[in-house]
Amino acid sequence: MSRVGRPAGARTGTAVAAVVLLAVLVGYPLLRLALVAADEWPGVRPAGLGEALRNTVVLAGAVTLAAVPVGVALALVLRRPDLPGRALWQAAVLLPLLVPDFVLGYSWTQAYARAGFTDTLLGVHWAGLLGPAGVWLVLVVNAAPLAYLVVAVALAARAEPDLERAARISGAGAATTAVTVTVRLALPAVAAAGVLVFVLTLGSFAIPQVLGAPAGFRTVTTQIYADLSLGGDPTSFVRAVTLAVVLVLVTAACTAPADVLLAPRLRSQRPADARPAAALPARPAVLRGQTLALGGYAGLTAGLPLAALLLASITRAVGVPPTPGNWALDHFRTVLTPRTAEALGRSLALALVAATLLVLLGGLVAVAERRRAGRTAATLTTLTLVLPGSTLAVGLLLAYGRWLSGTLTLILLAYLAKLWAVAHRPIAGALDRFPPDELRAARVSGAGALTAVRTVALPPLAPALLGAWLLCFLTALHEVTMSSLLYGPGSETLAVVVLNSQELGRIGPTAALSVVLTVLVALPAGLLWWASRRWSAPAREVPAGVG
Amino acid sequence: MSAEPAVEVTDLVVHHGTTAALRGVSLQVLPGEVLALLGPSGSGKSTLLHAVAGFLEPTSGVVRLGGRTVSGAGRPVPPERRDLAVVFQNYALWPHLTALDTVAYPARRRGESRAQARAEGRALLGRLHVAHLADRRPAELSGGEQQRVGLARALARRPAVYLFDEPTAHLDTHVRGVFLEELASRRRESGAAAVYATHDAEEALGLADRVALLDAGRLVQVGTPEQVYAQPVDAFAARLTGPASVIDAPDGSGELLVRLGWARLGGPLEGKVRGSWFRGPHTDHLVDTPLGELLIRESGGACRPVGERIRWTLLHGWSLPGHDGRG
Repeated sequence: MSRVGRPAGARTGTAVAAVVLLAVLVGYPLLRLALVAADEWPGVRPAGLGEALRNTVVLAGAVTLAAVPVGVALALVLRRPDLPGRALWQAAVLLPLLVPDFVLGYSWTQAYARAGFTDTLLGVHWAGLLGPAGVWLVLVVNAAPLAYLVVAVALAARAEPDLERAARISGAGAATTAVTVTVRLALPAVAAAGVLVFVLTLGSFAIPQVLGAPAGFRTVTTQIYADLSLGGDPTSFVRAVTLAVVLVLVTAACTAPADVLLAPRLRSQRPADARPAAALPARPAVLRGQTLALGGYAGLTAGLPLAALLLASITRAVGVPPTPGNWALDHFRTVLTPRTAEALGRSLALALVAATLLVLLGGLVAVAERRRAGRTAATLTTLTLVLPGSTLAVGLLLAYGRWLSGTLTLILLAYLAKLWAVAHRPIAGALDRFPPDELRAARVSGAGALTAVRTVALPPLAPALLGAWLLCFLTALHEVTMSSLLYGPGSETLAVVVLNSQELGRIGPTAALSVVLTVLVALPAGLLWWASRRWSAPAREVPAGVG
Repeated sequence: MSAEPAVEVTDLVVHHGTTAALRGVSLQVLPGEVLALLGPSGSGKSTLLHAVAGFLEPTSGVVRLGGRTVSGAGRPVPPERRDLAVVFQNYALWPHLTALDTVAYPARRRGESRAQARAEGRALLGRLHVAHLADRRPAELSGGEQQRVGLARALARRPAVYLFDEPTAHLDTHVRGVFLEELASRRRESGAAAVYATHDAEEALGLADRVALLDAGRLVQVGTPEQVYAQPVDAFAARLTGPASVIDAPDGSGELLVRLGWARLGGPLEGKVRGSWFRGPHTDHLVDTPLGELLIRESGGACRPVGERIRWTLLHGWSLPGHDGRG
């Protein structure tokens, strides 16, 4: 089978290039990691290893058990087109995704911990916030929007309105229909959301670090961080390496069977469209109740914490009430030092370069996988999606630290390795939907290979490329898990500066820095979301089932 | 038998956003009756059925089922309490349930035990000759088999009214027989009725006791199949119910509707062949006449060359209302 396009040699070339790059970025670091761990294994058994591992696995399980039901409930409520203020609620529920993990965790301390917002105003605070319970709850809040997105997409694709109407007309009430038909149809996606949340929680760093570390609650990732950044003795190094290996093994052990079980069931039976299901009429009281619950959820989980964070950043001193009389921009002045500005510049430059290279890398694999030779590259790329950042960082440090330790280049390599799959997925998806006949039509109309791609393929693919670029840019901009392990003097990113500031206990300045980081990330992301909604708005307004 | 109409809609108006899908439809379906809703796509057939089923809330108007107001005054009655069954356009079979569990679903919702619901479901599948498919899921069923399972699920509901939302394929003879038989037996006990939405004139005329013609959200005509076929209220209604020509009346009294078979070759009138199509059992000739263009169907026969002069006879015509006289 030969395709119009490039000669087979060039195709194989892209596949080989992709595999080689993957080996450099991921393969070799993991190999080094395994070798070092094997080398040390029979010798020292550092203390605290089992505890960190147990904490991590129990935490990930508990977060999954709570975040997935919340995500399903959100998806069921938010799919009603007649929900008052639906677009606004969708934005509010997705807000935690736009806020860097660190900032979300820190904002909770500003809202609910001792000397926080509720403590100052009402004299109530939650002592358990700093500790396992707080880590769990904030991770649930952080993961629920993701579970919501996965389930919502599945519902849009699978729960055709007629299937629910058929249940209702057969005598099932709204709740019975939701259980026996709607959620049942999305069950593979619900399970997939569970695996996703579990794996991401295994590798999560910022929230356990901010809320757990002060209370002595260690997870694998925060233990690695403590061992590499604080502890200088050989035992802690061995422990970090061992934990990095254990983390990737646990992750692989969870994802491999889930992938085998779920992948065939997740294939959509009809293409997902953006149209919301034409919902059955609901009682106004039910809608009001749902709106109230949504408002309470969004307000307590994200609204109040972020407001408290903002107030903490503009309130003159810790302990004084956050009233306008006590407002000042002192903290912003304090933190906007040349050192911060340099870190900000580094973060922007790193994110810019990383995102641009990642779109090229993602495109490379997406093009390569159109041929059989490239499928391996695509599969390997997808596998990196579940690699915990901490493991990657330790591996890269072992592999290239001799030459690159503490440099921005090493951090850039880490971003490329971690986000390659993130860039690849949307580009490959768009390429899959692109009809090959359009390219053939351009070629027989007289366009050369490159002209055909430029004039016919690029315009429809542009949104996916831009989306992939922005996704990588924004993720890189606030990445802290790997940056905090790899930075050295003169290569701190803004997120690292924020983390260090928090560890020094500087509340006002940390809040100010968090606000800066959030605005930097959330503003473009929010604009993008708004723009994408506007572009797709006409398609949404067509009511389903007319005729 | 209940004296109340099984379905009664009054001044029903439905808006989809800014476009009006129904603009004031009033209609009654009597117990035991099969009413066909005939109209082109986009005429509002599905919208009307959805309003009756409670899948959407009408902008204004009243829906009554067996004398009970279900929509229009106070809180609308939800679909599950309307005592209806729907056969959906693409059958809407749940992909995760087997045929048997699908058919058992309505009985389960009535509170019957799983075993009892399944026994009833098996019997229904048997009546529709698909008992051997009981353990299959929709993905493993052909279109016709899916239709039978969809109809079995509707029958399992034992409703007062069946709604057919443009089933993609025609009901085959056996399925139609089972369904009409069921309707007749249910008519004796409770007065079940059916509304059958379709855009296929032949199916509507052959299946229904009465036919309602819909166009752009309005009722154009309601009558027996014979009435709507032979005495359409206007040219639109005429074209909706089957092929026809409209010519000037020979006596100059207005426009005349001539169905295929209402004119034959040979006779006093003159014409010239414009086109001629062999269709197997018969041949259709498009003839240019002084009165207008006319389609004449000849039993048997063969194609005639274009331009050939022929003679013809008008057997019957229907003066379209709005003009003087009736043919």
